[in-house]
Amino acid sequence: MKPSLYLAALALIATAGASAKSIELLNVSYDPTRELYQDYNTAFTNYWKSKTGDDLVIRQAHGGSGAQARSVIDGLPADVVTLALAADVDALARVGKLLPADWQKRLPDNSAPYTSTIVFLVRKGNPRGLKDWDDLAKPGVSVITPNPKTSGGARWNYLAAWGYALKKFNGDEAKVKEFISALYRNVPVLDSGARGSTTTFVKRGIGDVLISWENEAFLALKDSDAGSFEIVVPSLSILAEPTVAWVDKVAQRKGTAEVAKAYLEYLYSDEGQDIAGRNFYRPRSAKAAAKYAARFPQIDLITIDEIFGGWTKAQQVHFADGGVFDQIYLKH
Amino acid sequence: MRNLPAILRAFFLSAVLSTNFFPVLRADANDDIQALRAQIDQLDQKLRILERKQEIKDEEAAAAAKSAPKIALTDKGFTFASGDNANSVKIRGLVQLDSRFFFNDGGGIANNAFVLRRARLISEGTFAKLYSFQLVTDFAGTGTPSILDANLGISLSPALQLKFGKFKSPVGLEWLQSDSWTFFNERSIATDLVPNRDLGVLASGTVLGGALNYSAGVLNGVPDATTSNNADFKNDKNVVGRVFAAPFRGSAGSPLQGLSIGVSGDLGREKTASGRTAGYKTDGQQTFFSYASAVVADGQSWHVSPQAEYRDGPFGLIGEYVLSTVNVRPSATGAKAQLQNKAWQLAAGYVLTGEDSSYNGVTPRTNFDPAAGTWGAFEIAARYADLKIDDAAFPLFASAATNADEATSLGLGLNWYLSKVALVKLDYYQTKFGFNRAAPAVSATQILRQDEKALITRFQLSF
Repeated sequence: MKPSLYLAALALIATAGASAKSIELLNVSYDPTRELYQDYNTAFTNYWKSKTGDDLVIRQAHGGSGAQARSVIDGLPADVVTLALAADVDALARVGKLLPADWQKRLPDNSAPYTSTIVFLVRKGNPRGLKDWDDLAKPGVSVITPNPKTSGGARWNYLAAWGYALKKFNGDEAKVKEFISALYRNVPVLDSGARGSTTTFVKRGIGDVLISWENEAFLALKDSDAGSFEIVVPSLSILAEPTVAWVDKVAQRKGTAEVAKAYLEYLYSDEGQDIAGRNFYRPRSAKAAAKYAARFPQIDLITIDEIFGGWTKAQQVHFADGGVFDQIYLKH
Repeated sequence: MRNLPAILRAFFLSAVLSTNFFPVLRADANDDIQALRAQIDQLDQKLRILERKQEIKDEEAAAAAKSAPKIALTDKGFTFASGDNANSVKIRGLVQLDSRFFFNDGGGIANNAFVLRRARLISEGTFAKLYSFQLVTDFAGTGTPSILDANLGISLSPALQLKFGKFKSPVGLEWLQSDSWTFFNERSIATDLVPNRDLGVLASGTVLGGALNYSAGVLNGVPDATTSNNADFKNDKNVVGRVFAAPFRGSAGSPLQGLSIGVSGDLGREKTASGRTAGYKTDGQQTFFSYASAVVADGQSWHVSPQAEYRDGPFGLIGEYVLSTVNVRPSATGAKAQLQNKAWQLAAGYVLTGEDSSYNGVTPRTNFDPAAGTWGAFEIAARYADLKIDDAAFPLFASAATNADEATSLGLGLNWYLSKVALVKLDYYQTKFGFNRAAPAVSATQILRQDEKALITRFQLSF
């Protein structure tokens, strides 16, 4: 056999390999998005099949947002990440060098195709009369919230409480710290993720109030026995913007860059936005937002940028090792 | 009447309790009850919290266990694997100690022996799920330790896996089966005609829902029954291929479900400075044919081997035919001739203890354990095989006086699977030799003067 024939045979094998690959995406997400992406994956798989003829298998992995980001940095081959906050995706760019630093500019709305906020879930009749953040810091109240070191939702919870206290105490940081410290003294269990905290509160019957993603609270109402829980909307909360990104290094290596990008872009489509609204996330599109407006209460929402100067700063000040949260919580 | 005061007392007490006669006393009782309820609620919450914390700890421990490296020692060897199983290294071994005794061969041939047939250390591994390696070294034999297999693999999908390096050429059927699990101690004489281990690149895979297995590749090319010496500097290479189908694999209940049929072959050009083969051997591993030392290969060579396998519960059957074609010269300048040697075999096994017969050996339901009164598994086997040398080989390419031109072999075997790891084999072989018409009445080679009658036992450890 001549060398040219051998090389041609190798090329043929390589080509056959390329055509034989099955398209599989791994979406690494945070805790409460299971139901959202189960719905969405079905829709996108159908859309992709009709568009390209390719069969697509989408796998989901869920956990605390920070822990999920760590797993991806450590090698979990995520084609896309749909995490609870931009800081966790930033970590993939900064620590893992898995995607460019300006990843947030690649998709509309700073790569946050839907939003949510933080509310309280209490037991039927609100036996402790909990109405606002003040009530959660009172002695004897049992508060359920996950660990901000591992959970993105927990960080939103913490920052919403911080934002409230900042306003209440006119920026007096010492008093704010005291308030937050009192609140976390009331937390008997720190789960690693938001879904774990929902389990603690709803299924294990622990605590008087669950600080929760709005969508998770709605889901708990939907899934639990009729009338077991109520949602309490605090006077002030935070605009939570879960962000999405395709992981360039992984997607390029796996040859899934095109479909990974399309997967996230389709979140902004009419169908994607409708699925978000149906799963209790606040859609970005005016059409879907109008359709689901009635289910979402009007709340005074602060933003991460205006109160904390963005995620990078908030992360560094509050949640980095030795940060404010550590100072507060380790005292307990 | 004697009970009247007691009845009156009870009546009086109930009247007192049912009125506000002692309101302070009742309020205190209510407070106590409320306090007790609150205490119970608090204790209940504390208990729930403790339980939940333990639950979280357990979940974290389970998650940590999933990601922790794993070490396993099983009947398949030692395995070291990463928590996600993406990376693993496996160490295996194979040791075979044989005894060979030959009967009725005149007694003048020093061929009875205990033989360390194989002593192999096998390491295999996978990295990032896709990339694999295999390294098989053999410490048996009289020479220095040898590397039998050394290859790297890329597993793109079940339908396409690539292998680079040194590995078994995919020509033949019994040849491809593991040394540990053939029906007999030694492969049949049909395997004399297929190339052994070679160097090159091979694509293989399973398609059509597992019903068709294929291999195709480019190899250096080695003569019959020969293993590459790890380097072969020449311009001509061999193409090899094999398809093996199980067309009734999905037909549950069909008597043909266990039938597989296939064909394998290779094609290339050989130009060598030395003899075509080191020799064809009997079941007793004695050489009954070899080309003259001056013979060289020069020209096209090819093999074709139709083959079939059937398994049904404890019954197993394999059959193959091999046609080996080579162009040779009696010396570097002699006239070229094309020779075709042919061989076939049919071998069957039956597991007396009822376990399934399998390409990967028998897994006994119980291990041999005298204390427990269990005996492992027993299998009987029978084989018939024939190898015919091309008449044109004599006398120019091989001496009719010192070589047989045909060997016909009958084998009977008993295999005792002490466990999946330990095996004892007892085989009896009888090989009848045929000779070219130019051969003398009595062969010049002593072992060919009578049928070969060999009893070969084996103690094997394979993990």
